[in-house]
Amino acid sequence: MKIVKLLGLLGIILTHQLKAQTLSDGLMMPKKDLCTGFLYSTDSWKNYWEGTLKRDNMNLGTVTTTSATWVGSYGLTEKINLIAMVPYVWTRASSGTLHPMQGVQDLTFGGKYRFFKKEFQNSSLKTFAALSFSLPLTNYTPDFLPLSIGLSSKTVAVRINSVYTLAKNWYTGISGAYIFRSNVTLDRPSYYTDGQLFLTNEVAMPNQFQFFGNIGYKKNNWQVEINYNQQNTLGGGDIRRQDMPFASNRMNFAKIGINGAYYFPYPKGLAAHATASYTVAGRNVGQSTMYTAGLLYIIHFKKEIQTN
Amino acid sequence: MNFITNYKSIFFLTLIVLLPLSCNKDVGSNETLYPLIPTNVDANAGTWKPMFLTSNSQVAVPVPVAVTTPAYQSELTTIKNFQSLLTSGKRKSIEYWSGGGVLRWNQIFRELVARYSLPPAPLSNGTYIFPDADNPFADPQFPFANPPYAARAYSYVSVAMYDALKAAWYYKYLYNRQAPYQVDNAITPLMPQVTIPAYPSEEAVMAGVAQTILSSLFPAAVEEITLKAGEQRNAALWSGKAAPSDISAGLALGKAVAQLFLTRASGDGMKNAIGTPDQWKAFQDTATKHGQIPWLSLDVPARPPMLPFFGNVKAWMMTPADIVNVRPPTPPSTSSSEMQSQVSEVKYFSSNLTRERQGIVLKWADGAGTYTPPGHWNDIAEEYIRDAKFSEVRAARAFALINVAMHDAAVACWHTKYYYFNPRPTQMDPSIKTGTGIPNFPSYVSGHSTFSFAASTVLSYLFPSAQNNYESMANEASLSRLYGAIHYRIDIEAGSDLGKNVGAFTVSFAQSDGAN
Repeated sequence: MKIVKLLGLLGIILTHQLKAQTLSDGLMMPKKDLCTGFLYSTDSWKNYWEGTLKRDNMNLGTVTTTSATWVGSYGLTEKINLIAMVPYVWTRASSGTLHPMQGVQDLTFGGKYRFFKKEFQNSSLKTFAALSFSLPLTNYTPDFLPLSIGLSSKTVAVRINSVYTLAKNWYTGISGAYIFRSNVTLDRPSYYTDGQLFLTNEVAMPNQFQFFGNIGYKKNNWQVEINYNQQNTLGGGDIRRQDMPFASNRMNFAKIGINGAYYFPYPKGLAAHATASYTVAGRNVGQSTMYTAGLLYIIHFKKEIQTN
Repeated sequence: MNFITNYKSIFFLTLIVLLPLSCNKDVGSNETLYPLIPTNVDANAGTWKPMFLTSNSQVAVPVPVAVTTPAYQSELTTIKNFQSLLTSGKRKSIEYWSGGGVLRWNQIFRELVARYSLPPAPLSNGTYIFPDADNPFADPQFPFANPPYAARAYSYVSVAMYDALKAAWYYKYLYNRQAPYQVDNAITPLMPQVTIPAYPSEEAVMAGVAQTILSSLFPAAVEEITLKAGEQRNAALWSGKAAPSDISAGLALGKAVAQLFLTRASGDGMKNAIGTPDQWKAFQDTATKHGQIPWLSLDVPARPPMLPFFGNVKAWMMTPADIVNVRPPTPPSTSSSEMQSQVSEVKYFSSNLTRERQGIVLKWADGAGTYTPPGHWNDIAEEYIRDAKFSEVRAARAFALINVAMHDAAVACWHTKYYYFNPRPTQMDPSIKTGTGIPNFPSYVSGHSTFSFAASTVLSYLFPSAQNNYESMANEASLSRLYGAIHYRIDIEAGSDLGKNVGAFTVSFAQSDGAN
């Protein structure tokens, strides 16, 4: 089971709009257990969707976003987990002259609450609600896409997850999220997007919907899963022909991915993790391939306490 | 159990509190304009010196019928009928245009420029096709409203509007016909009551000018331009400010004046500003012959230079000889140690792009997809013109002066750029990474510096109390190009001087145009 708990902390890290699978899955840390560690990921794309038109751009070449993320998850109670993460992000383009960017991006902080659990003979069904917030920790600009390290919007995400576990080894889950995004501020006094000139430095960021689904298998010290991850931005303009991307663009994507984890017999509580994902469809985003590797460790603060 | 229940309540309580907060995301798309009540109606504007027309009465406007005639009385009935059927949409139009037609049209031009300031995408074989005025809806769309194109466009619309409004003022005070709401008490004035004679209608003059010239500059936007122009005329009619005959006379005057400007535009040299591949090669050969590293396009694939013969386009306040006379001195040789130290300084700013400097770069970048640097200075000017509560004709004068100076700045700057054909810093040192896109034309002198100081010189003349503010903005705009690592300091210094010199020609016109 510990592998499963660890896996709960890992998963899809989206570069420009960070969230963790941990908020979307059905896994919980036991009370007073802290799982923490670092993830390193690299995301790169050569082709991107300018609106719905897929193209490349030799003035960018391949755009690579690298991030190192601290993550932590803590079992406040058996039913409530607190989750936090902070990435440091580097961006660069392999061609053209645009300046690479780097910096601390957004803090994500949230809680997950298991409000429904039903055990069957060989299986179980659990349902969770999660609430999370994110806010930029530094004053980076969202106005240098695709090399901005993030979109700098403050967000509130509401999620519902449901997980079905079958015969100990197999599990499957789905998760839906609605993300409220705050306006962002640019350094310039006007911008043009979605067919209109705005004579202000403030940009309305349309809200988003996310869907996540996975199927996984765990045995002994190993765990592997495949997943699907979709984001729809509920508004916003397309990148115009030969224009640069803009913070409030309608950024949509569908990605498929694979996750794997290995739980070390010694030292106990240490796990290694790796993921890969590929963008199969998109709009106003790069067709990225992403790899993540990480190490996580569980600390029991009060292991003597019987939590059941 | 209590513990958990508490958490549960906190969770949902937080949700309830936060959701409405995060939903408030309205942003105003326009700068606010207030109902325009000018501090001075400028009754003598009909005597001010035209910028291009030979006189303010060059286009004839027939004598209007008297307000006592049955023909005019039936026009009043038409207005009353309209007023009895006003919808909230029509009231909104009246309110919108009450903010001042000159200011509104300036906002509309900027929107058009921002929509069309995108370069053509490369074809898969690494070449580009030029936008085609006869096929404006295609890819690439027409026009590519780059900074020189935009500077010229802003100047044509602004000058034509100004000359047409002076002509309108001339006839207004010649014929002195009152506004419908003054003639008939049953007509409610729905625009601010300003005692300016109504014939010909200034709203219709502006609509006629804007519709004619903008449709020529931005042919793919003809539908919305025509709708806006129609809305402005209707707003004047519905508001009781102008009778149908005031409007038709104004529209005819506006369109006739605009046609004179279109004739000028067709022969001002813009047609030849792109040149041919042989001519582009000749720039390289000339620079090489003088022992200089010639400019190369840093776009991938390499793009033809932007409007290399824009320096031959006719200026408004300067002769071709003036353009040569103000040309900045020869920059240091590309192989000199002085040039090396210029490159090193750019390299320093490239390697030290602080967040503060990046903010300045982005604030003034005004690159592809924006209203361009001339648009930015119109944006800056707008608030001063609005707050000064200028009459329509004086507001038009202010925009005309600023845009004439920036058009002339574009001509003088482009002339200089292609005369010296100097490489960008990144061409001299490919390790120089830039905080904004590298414009596709030679480096010396900086267009931003030239535009900004031309505009700030004219604005300082118009609003002397804000001179320091304009100059500090112009300085910041200029330095933003060094911070962004796309210009050397010499480009900025020489460009700033050039902008001031060009601006002085416009100021000298303004000093003796009869408007002071």
